[in-house]
Amino acid sequence: MSKKFSVLLGVVLILSFVLAACQPAPAAEPVSVEEPVAESPTEVVVEEPTTEPTTVPAEETVEEELPVLVIWSDEARAPVLEKLGAAFAEEYGVTIQVQQMGFGDVRDQLKVAGPAGEGPDILVGAHDWLGELTINGLLSPVDLEDKADLFLPAAVDAFMYDGVLYGLPYVTENVAFLRNPELVPDAPQTWSEVAQIAADLEASGVVKQGYIRQDGDPYHFYPILTAFDGYIFNVNENGYDPTDVGIDSEGGLAAGKWLEDMVTNGHVVAAVDYEIMHTMFEQGEAAMMITGPWALDRIRQSGIPYAISEIPSETGVGRPFLGVQGFMISAFSENKLLAQTFLNEYVATEETMLEIFAADPRASAFIPVRDAIEDEDIAAFGKAGEVGMAMPAIPEMSAVWTAFGDAINIVMQGQQPGQEAFENAAAQIRSAIEGN
Amino acid sequence: MLPPKFVPLLKEIRVKYQQSTGELVSPVFRNLRSYLGTLVGLSLLDGFALWFIYNLLADGVWFLGIAVFLVTLGINIIFLRKDLYPLRWISPGLALILLLAFYPILFSVYSAFTNYSDGHLLTKEQSINRITQDYYLPEDTETFSWELYRSENGNFALLLTGENGDRYWAKPDQPLEALPGQESPETYDGFVRVSRAESIKYLTEIESIAFGVGEEGVRVKSLSSAAQLQKRFVYNADIDAIIDQKQEIVYYADGDLGSFLSVTGTELFPGYQVAVGLDNFTRLIKSPALSGPFLQVFLWTIVFAFISVVSTFMLGLFLALVLDSPGIPLPKVIRSLLILPYAVPGVILILIWRGLLNPHLGVVNLTLMQWFGWAPAWFSDPFWTKMGILLVNLYLGYPYMMLICSGALKAIPQDVYEAAEVDGANIFQKFFNITLPYLLISVGPLLVSSFSFNFNNFNVIYLFNEGGPPIPNTPTPAGHSDILISYTYRLAFAGERGADYGYAAAIAFVIFIILSLITLFNFRFTRMWEEVSENV
Repeated sequence: MSKKFSVLLGVVLILSFVLAACQPAPAAEPVSVEEPVAESPTEVVVEEPTTEPTTVPAEETVEEELPVLVIWSDEARAPVLEKLGAAFAEEYGVTIQVQQMGFGDVRDQLKVAGPAGEGPDILVGAHDWLGELTINGLLSPVDLEDKADLFLPAAVDAFMYDGVLYGLPYVTENVAFLRNPELVPDAPQTWSEVAQIAADLEASGVVKQGYIRQDGDPYHFYPILTAFDGYIFNVNENGYDPTDVGIDSEGGLAAGKWLEDMVTNGHVVAAVDYEIMHTMFEQGEAAMMITGPWALDRIRQSGIPYAISEIPSETGVGRPFLGVQGFMISAFSENKLLAQTFLNEYVATEETMLEIFAADPRASAFIPVRDAIEDEDIAAFGKAGEVGMAMPAIPEMSAVWTAFGDAINIVMQGQQPGQEAFENAAAQIRSAIEGN
Repeated sequence: MLPPKFVPLLKEIRVKYQQSTGELVSPVFRNLRSYLGTLVGLSLLDGFALWFIYNLLADGVWFLGIAVFLVTLGINIIFLRKDLYPLRWISPGLALILLLAFYPILFSVYSAFTNYSDGHLLTKEQSINRITQDYYLPEDTETFSWELYRSENGNFALLLTGENGDRYWAKPDQPLEALPGQESPETYDGFVRVSRAESIKYLTEIESIAFGVGEEGVRVKSLSSAAQLQKRFVYNADIDAIIDQKQEIVYYADGDLGSFLSVTGTELFPGYQVAVGLDNFTRLIKSPALSGPFLQVFLWTIVFAFISVVSTFMLGLFLALVLDSPGIPLPKVIRSLLILPYAVPGVILILIWRGLLNPHLGVVNLTLMQWFGWAPAWFSDPFWTKMGILLVNLYLGYPYMMLICSGALKAIPQDVYEAAEVDGANIFQKFFNITLPYLLISVGPLLVSSFSFNFNNFNVIYLFNEGGPPIPNTPTPAGHSDILISYTYRLAFAGERGADYGYAAAIAFVIFIILSLITLFNFRFTRMWEEVSENV
């Protein structure tokens, strides 16, 4: 008997295992004031005080079902939001649940959990998700009301999609030009100058590479493309125009030619990834590179002297991509007004924005905080970003990354001249956008 | 589990039975208890399954709900019917295969015939609900500031103040009522004023309420303002269309596309899922991807899978033979060390190899440069990338082959070797005429499965060099080291609108067919070996 029973038990156990695996992430159920919120290990729950605020009349006859505001946040923002949530709960008696997950996971999970009614009310994310999220109908408009003027216009524009605002921005980030000031005392103004300095440094043998860049990676190449007056998508009154691809425009091809010359002369080498680029810079084996504020920590720790400046120009202006992160409201939220109120009253304040900055130093999108930042490096990145352009949020951008990245690699590996490689990339992108 | 009063009775039966037969437990009793146990277990399982199915159906995941239902039904039948007794032992395995392997395959085949993709993730009903949930503020509409009032039984009312200072009392489904005076009363009409801070927790409740009658209804827009917001989009079921009230445009449902389209072709987002028949397959056939580098990628896929199998098998067999021969010191220790690459996750090993082979900082290349002044360009040269991948895959794969060969070698009868020695066979003759044929009988099917595995070995290709270096002048992005699965991964996920699951499923389906054909052919090939072995 015991044998049979254990088999049965086994079946039940295995099945429950299977079923648990198929089950979507646990949903946050609305909880009434009387019962404490159930804590599951993955969520950080900010408990609200269980006593009713005294202003509510004692002869209350209807049981109140108070809403719970669920926020999906990445690791850096979660502690700040938890603290805010506790204050909000104390003041208004509304529970805030902060669920922490990987930055990119927020987007992927929302696609599944949102329509199933198990998503968050507020999510923390990047502006370039807008295209993907809005065509799936996952976002609800955000209204900054009288606080709109306090935000960097470029950051607010980045969160506009089809003329509708979908996010409350908190930071902007962009790449800038970094050099080792002991080797390169003055910031180069043009990319021809960069080539010249690289040639001199390499000839004198003080470094392996004067200028170093990682393989492919259109994101880090965009400032060079725009410096030569090239573009990925042209901008018209509606924002980026996916029908006008400019990688093979005159400027685009000039950027390709510059890269090709750098490769021919040995100033740009292939088989470099993010790690190697930074390691070589930090060991003094490379003197110049393009990178973003996320690398500041490791560069500071390495002790190598560094200086941050604007992207060099050429025939045009070297414009980095501007990435903006912000708070968005899920279209499947049942607490949209509340979420909006929380954002406008609690998040769009100087104290909160300062705390967000302190938790993860990047140039703030909130003007009073942006102006008050004393970190010189962050300010320098911010300065380089002043000419930046919001990274296209249109879904067509997904056709660009591989095609353009491949073209850059083909040139870097010396397989083809810049012109042919870039022309083919533009053709691939046009073909993908036409739906092939 | 039994009621207490039965316990003495049962004890009595047992004692009597023991006295009469000397056995401990009666078969009748045993059957009863096991039957009860089965029932309890099944009801637990069924209860759980019902709860789960209910949740799945509530979420609209009826496909998986039906699958779980059928599997649970099957388990019940197996456990309740005596003649299906042997099936009980394999039912957990069957259930797992059905739910974790068979169901996903069915689902992806089904997806291949739909437009499931970014922009078409929702059902039609969800899509309509989503589109029609937005409100807009018509031009020339007054915006009010509001104060919340709440009655004892939880009803709400608003006290509205217009831009010119006019005040109105607004309740759901009742016309607005003009209010005299300036002060906001503490109580009015049986309602009690709620402070600004206090009203925050009621926002969710009043969010969906229109205060006023019909179109005049005032809705709360934010913490500070309310207005006569109107529905922007309204669905009309008669003409199966969504009407944009603001711009007066009609968007008709297009059942072929899974979108609401205006006559000018503008599309409303989000669209919805529809069956598209063979569209995904015709798109694949017409795609420039097939006319372009497809053949090159396909050939490399076969070459990669074939060389991977042969090289790992040869090295594995060699090591197994060496470790098997007498006179090797500490064979167990050496074998354990050699198995290590099998024990460490492949992802980590591939990344380590990437580092070792890097031309700028990698140990291998720096050493080669020092010794010979030349090192392979593992990541930028097509030939050397392929060599690098084969090398890494050899490292990852040989321990498995070594293991299975060690086992299979032990199964070869020793007397055949003795007979061969009597006949004066040398070591090579023994190997090619005895060891290899015997080995291939047992290892052959594993080689075939190893081939299938490597045919779709996305990890090693993608992690080593992302399929690169890229091939110049291709109509769609492709790399020299791309195999079918990594090549098509780019096709499906780098298209016009992000992820296209339907198209990806169609591609996967085609790869599955190709792989099945190759596998069938391979099995014919191994059967040939079995025939050979019959003559050994």
